[in-house]
Amino acid sequence: MTKLLSLVTVALLVAGWAASPATAQQKVVKIGDLGSKVGVFEGYGKYQTMAMQLAVEELNARGGVLGHRIEMISEDDDTKPAPAVRKAEKLILQDDVKLLVGAVSSGATMAVMDVTRKHKVIHWNSVSCAEFMRTTKFHRYYFSNQPDSRMQANGLAKYILDRMGKRVYIFYTDYAMGQSDGRQFKTALEKLGGEVVGVAGAPLDTKDFSPWFGAINQANPDVLFLAFAGTDSLRLMTQLHSFGMTKKYKLAGIDCFLLQQDLPAIAEPMEGFVQLAHFSPYNPDRHMQAFNARFKKRFGVDANIMAGAYDGVMFWAAAAEKAKSFDADRLVPLLEGMCLDDTHIGRQCIRKEDHQVVMDMHLYRVQKGKNVPIATVSGQDTIGEPLVGKDPVAGFTWEIKKKN
Amino acid sequence: MEYLIGVLLPQLVHGLVFGAALGLLALGLTVIFGLLGVMNFAHGELYMLGAYVGIAVIGVTRSFWVALVAAPLLVGVVGALTEVAALRPLYRRPPLYGLILTFGLALVFREAARQVWGGDMRRVQPPITGSTPLLGMTYPNYRLFLLAVSCVLLLAIWLFFTRTRAGIVVRAAVEDAEMLDGLGVDVRRVFTLTFAGSAALAALAGLLLAPVFTVYPQMGVEMILLAFIVVILGGMGSMGGSVVAAFVIGIAQSLLTLWLNPQRVAIAIFALMILVLIVRPRGFFGREGVLE
Repeated sequence: MTKLLSLVTVALLVAGWAASPATAQQKVVKIGDLGSKVGVFEGYGKYQTMAMQLAVEELNARGGVLGHRIEMISEDDDTKPAPAVRKAEKLILQDDVKLLVGAVSSGATMAVMDVTRKHKVIHWNSVSCAEFMRTTKFHRYYFSNQPDSRMQANGLAKYILDRMGKRVYIFYTDYAMGQSDGRQFKTALEKLGGEVVGVAGAPLDTKDFSPWFGAINQANPDVLFLAFAGTDSLRLMTQLHSFGMTKKYKLAGIDCFLLQQDLPAIAEPMEGFVQLAHFSPYNPDRHMQAFNARFKKRFGVDANIMAGAYDGVMFWAAAAEKAKSFDADRLVPLLEGMCLDDTHIGRQCIRKEDHQVVMDMHLYRVQKGKNVPIATVSGQDTIGEPLVGKDPVAGFTWEIKKKN
Repeated sequence: MEYLIGVLLPQLVHGLVFGAALGLLALGLTVIFGLLGVMNFAHGELYMLGAYVGIAVIGVTRSFWVALVAAPLLVGVVGALTEVAALRPLYRRPPLYGLILTFGLALVFREAARQVWGGDMRRVQPPITGSTPLLGMTYPNYRLFLLAVSCVLLLAIWLFFTRTRAGIVVRAAVEDAEMLDGLGVDVRRVFTLTFAGSAALAALAGLLLAPVFTVYPQMGVEMILLAFIVVILGGMGSMGGSVVAAFVIGIAQSLLTLWLNPQRVAIAIFALMILVLIVRPRGFFGREGVLE
């Protein structure tokens, strides 16, 4: 009797093992999602994960990539370079990811670039915008569909000069992203004949911005250009509004200033704020609407600019299918120049020289808490010449050039 | 003169507002340290809970003023339960136990808030709108209210500790809890109520500052570092010292921003703390024997 019981038990265990998902399913290929999951850029990291998740689910529903089911592993980088490097190494060495998407903060992304270069892993950036990533920090495994500081400045400066005013005050978050946005915007604006009447940087995670308001008021600009993101932006706008400065000055800023989801809560202070971005759920473009419908069906909320992470997975999968391999060295030549038609904004093509996606963008104005498109800017007009290996800020100075 | 009125004085007002609010937060921290000998790492999270509970109450009652009363009371209850359930068993253990416990509690409170309210930023509409022309600028009325209410609260707390029997009992417990116990006072109750009061004070600061700084789960972590500097600078366990130090830090931070870049301001604040500690190792009003 005991023998019979043992046999039944073994048989059941074997049957259970055979029917378990691990053995019933195909082989697995892993991809890494690295970014801020808590803290100042939490929202961006959260939506990056969701965008990647949507891509993974769509691809797996079609049978995965090269017969492999895609598995996504998410890691929090604490919005700092050192943890980002540690987590990137964990994703690559321990989890063996074949694609790494991230990070969110520019400082962290640049630090991670050293890791992906060293370990030869395809690295996709869909939100960091410092100007060094496709120039001095560039390596062959790095790709981006985030409009960097130079692209945003090129597109926005002209509109500001034509429609908003010539005297601009630049207020930025004093770390890699904000410094980059401030520098590139100052360069672009002065090149077009505008006047920068003042610049100031506030540290990341500043609680009270009011100490800087006196200097802004003294400079009395037409336009206040703001290069902040996340909780900093929300606090800054709340405080600018309470000091009456959102009514006094015209406001413009970078694409990741606030996510669409944050806008309704701060609709009044943000009214009229102008930015250049690649996506808004309120853009009637059919590709954006189609993507947003799928995103909303899956997660119950609108998509936002973090949707670029979806394309990163799709580009990588398309290249892997074409190469019939996950080997990064075989994928890179295929990604260079590759175009995809069904990204979150329609057609996107990767420029061969600096692996930057060339994309048409839109100028958006916030109206009652919604990012509403007001003009289209061609990708060719904003991307600028490839500067791989060259210093994109050579000769730059923060010095204010006084105009008579 | 123009520089003084147009630039320095407005910065001074910013510093006073920030310092007063910081004082409210630091005061609870210093009372707990003086009484229990524990640096309460969860104090920032009680500050955060005050803001979130306030938002929840505003959602139900549509009144900031009701929330301003209800949120500190509710967080005070959380504080009392925490003291009874978690801290009380550790009083006879070395201070490190309390330190580690409160650090763990901070993580629990923060993640609980994230689970309940999500990680997105929230904004609280100021109950007082409009602005007042002040020193050549338009100063928000809510900030002036914040300055006034913080000063009144600080004064009320000082009067409580110096003029009421309950306050004197707490001070006696800070000095010598065993002696007080011998005199027939229920010291355990004093500890619980003081911890609850400290939590309520943190919650009050959290909700009062919510319309200025916005609300998110990490908000306590960021403020608590400054509050610790205030407590150390003021003298560990000294309530008066904490109030003075809060204003010193608030004003120094605001004024230094005029001349130094932001990273250097942060360094300067720490340098100021080190300088004070070299000249006065116990801080402004630190007592002999505390942490020695």
